Amino acid sequence: MRIGILSSGAVTPGCIGVESLDSPWPQKLVVSGSGKHSYNASLVDQSLPEITRWGKEPRLRRASPIAYYMTEAASQALSAVPDINLSRTGVIASFFLGCLVYSVRFYKQMTTEGRRFASPILFPETVFNSPVSHLVSTLGTSGPVYSQVGDKSCWANSLRTAECWMRRGNVDNVLLIGAEEFDPYQLDAFHSAGWMRGNGLVPGEGAGAILLTSKPSDQSVILAGLSDGYCYSSKSEALAAGVECLAAHPRESKVMPTATGWVQQVESKVVGDRMLSGISHPFCEASTASAVWDTIRAAKLINQGLTQELIVPYWGLSQQFGAARLTAPSFTS
Amino acid sequence: MPSVNSSKPVITGYGCVTPLGVDVESTWTGIIEGRTARSPISAIEVQGCRVTEGAQAILPEIPSLSKKQLSRLSRSSRLALPAVEEALQMAGLLDSRGTSIYPRIEMSISTTACGMEMGEQFLNSIWQDHGQGQTAKVAHYQAQQQVSEIHRHFRFHGPAMIVANACAGGGNAIGHAADLIRADMADIVLAGGYDALCELVYAGFDSLQTLAPDACRPFDRGRRGLMLGEGAAFIVLESEAHAEKRGATIHARVAGYGQTTDTFHLTQPSQDGKPLEKAMRQALQEASLSPSDIGYVNAHGTGTPFNDGAEGKAFANVFEGHSTRLSSTKSAIGHTLGAAGAIEALICIKALQTGILPPQINLQDPEPLVSKALVKMDERADLKAAISVNLGFGGSNAALLLTRP
Repeated sequence: MRIGILSSGAVTPGCIGVESLDSPWPQKLVVSGSGKHSYNASLVDQSLPEITRWGKEPRLRRASPIAYYMTEAASQALSAVPDINLSRTGVIASFFLGCLVYSVRFYKQMTTEGRRFASPILFPETVFNSPVSHLVSTLGTSGPVYSQVGDKSCWANSLRTAECWMRRGNVDNVLLIGAEEFDPYQLDAFHSAGWMRGNGLVPGEGAGAILLTSKPSDQSVILAGLSDGYCYSSKSEALAAGVECLAAHPRESKVMPTATGWVQQVESKVVGDRMLSGISHPFCEASTASAVWDTIRAAKLINQGLTQELIVPYWGLSQQFGAARLTAPSFTS
Repeated sequence: MPSVNSSKPVITGYGCVTPLGVDVESTWTGIIEGRTARSPISAIEVQGCRVTEGAQAILPEIPSLSKKQLSRLSRSSRLALPAVEEALQMAGLLDSRGTSIYPRIEMSISTTACGMEMGEQFLNSIWQDHGQGQTAKVAHYQAQQQVSEIHRHFRFHGPAMIVANACAGGGNAIGHAADLIRADMADIVLAGGYDALCELVYAGFDSLQTLAPDACRPFDRGRRGLMLGEGAAFIVLESEAHAEKRGATIHARVAGYGQTTDTFHLTQPSQDGKPLEKAMRQALQEASLSPSDIGYVNAHGTGTPFNDGAEGKAFANVFEGHSTRLSSTKSAIGHTLGAAGAIEALICIKALQTGILPPQINLQDPEPLVSKALVKMDERADLKAAISVNLGFGGSNAALLLTRP
């Protein structure tokens, strides 16, 4: 089965739209929730009209920032293909941390003000699949809907789910979204996990969306291969997992630089001279959102004719690796 | 709807830990005896909540792990590991050392709260200014960590789809596993769900005033809310060809799966029950069965006014005029959230195997729309097929249709 990318959308710390993926994004020094640490983070400008306009939608009025980011990114992808059949369009949202801002706020409220005074309005918005429920309600798709969670590599599994739905004939198109929102306590968590130690990791937030189709045109970049589920439980196992993950794809294929933080060392050892040169590493680490941005960047490079095929690794920082192989529509290996 | 249907998913193993028991047999015995696991909650802090009772599991021993190793596990993993072991053991997938005979097994699992207490401990440590050692536990909060713990314990790895479709997730996870097999994308999948009691979720449901102040009474006109529970259940799904090739015993089949999204409201189902009805009809269509073939429906039946009202209508719309029996086992086990769909699928399997129907307990004044269908104590039936349905926040609906081998 041939699966192609029909369209895409993005909300990044740089700006709105997939054009914002190519230029460096602003960073600012953020004090962690505990007040003990300060690190650079790359955050979305929530005052942009493309973000605030969603506040007028009844379902999104009380929603967390992540719901705004993903609805805007998904809206861009859908509006690029206005004649799409929304009843044959599935939606898969991928999250690493999900509705972090409201979860922290709700837990703080119940522990400081008392459990009986916890907000019944806030709690439902902390649930992983609330943002995607808002999105589906607002944008009007009516195919199957999944929220999937995991580290960055869960994006590879979301692509696998999309392939499964298309093979089964349940849908013609799948709108895939990766989205994350930032909370200062995230810096404490990343610090505790050792992820901020001297490697220049810049936490970020935002969303990306791609619309996949089982009926690609002769212009569509093709999802030609997928490797998923190469797990590690220590940094020493990560190297073997990375080797195994990339071995599932043709050896001659170039690999896009997508690693951040500690996993850059793994990437460097695993990829070696297969790395596509002249391409920058991601400007920040926004986990599943970054995974989508990397996928869109790779598709753009193929569309621009810089390469005919490209492997896009999804280096999860906590559990596993996956990778997708994208090719030009006319490419035959 | 045209669909690829080249491989048939069969169930070769299953296991669970619930508030009624540490394995399938003890859980099933509790169900058919009409017991409820409701008791005061002691596993987590619930002081100050309007309701302080629920269904709490007894954590099973895991003899292969040291005290230190056990202390590192989240409560979710303490529930999940024994359930996985029971399922893999029954399927004949463990060697004499208790490790998987296959190095790669795909997983399709559901959770809503992951290892939430680790996240809670992390925040409390910061607020109470504890040291780095406590805050490092945050790494064990996320769902992929529970997957890692299962991988490490049974020594396999592979793709893991972690679906977080709220309380429908367990049904989605098993349905997705069946989809992977039907699409010829996997030969064998470990599917299921888990969720442990945690403060954030308990206080959340309490804040919504959806917790029953007394007995949970699904489909009763006097129902006043749900009983929060915890647990884990896992099912080994294989393609029929794979199971036959290795000589595995087939216990049941996943013959159909339906999934819809209800956009009526974030936390309330559409009161006409239409989205859930559509999910059940999708499952029937995939299985090429009619409503008259379905002997039993394990309802989501939370015991909340809105859920049971909508579900009753969906049930009546599909099964009116047929002899299909209905019950919700949440009055016995509690609402186990991400585990619910998997536990309830497992209860359907036991009903198919034994012909004993899970009774609707705590019933005083049945809802007229479904009153004749509700299962009484000691009912038996020659079941050919059963459906397990689940609804979740965000409007997720899942319907699994299970049949005898």
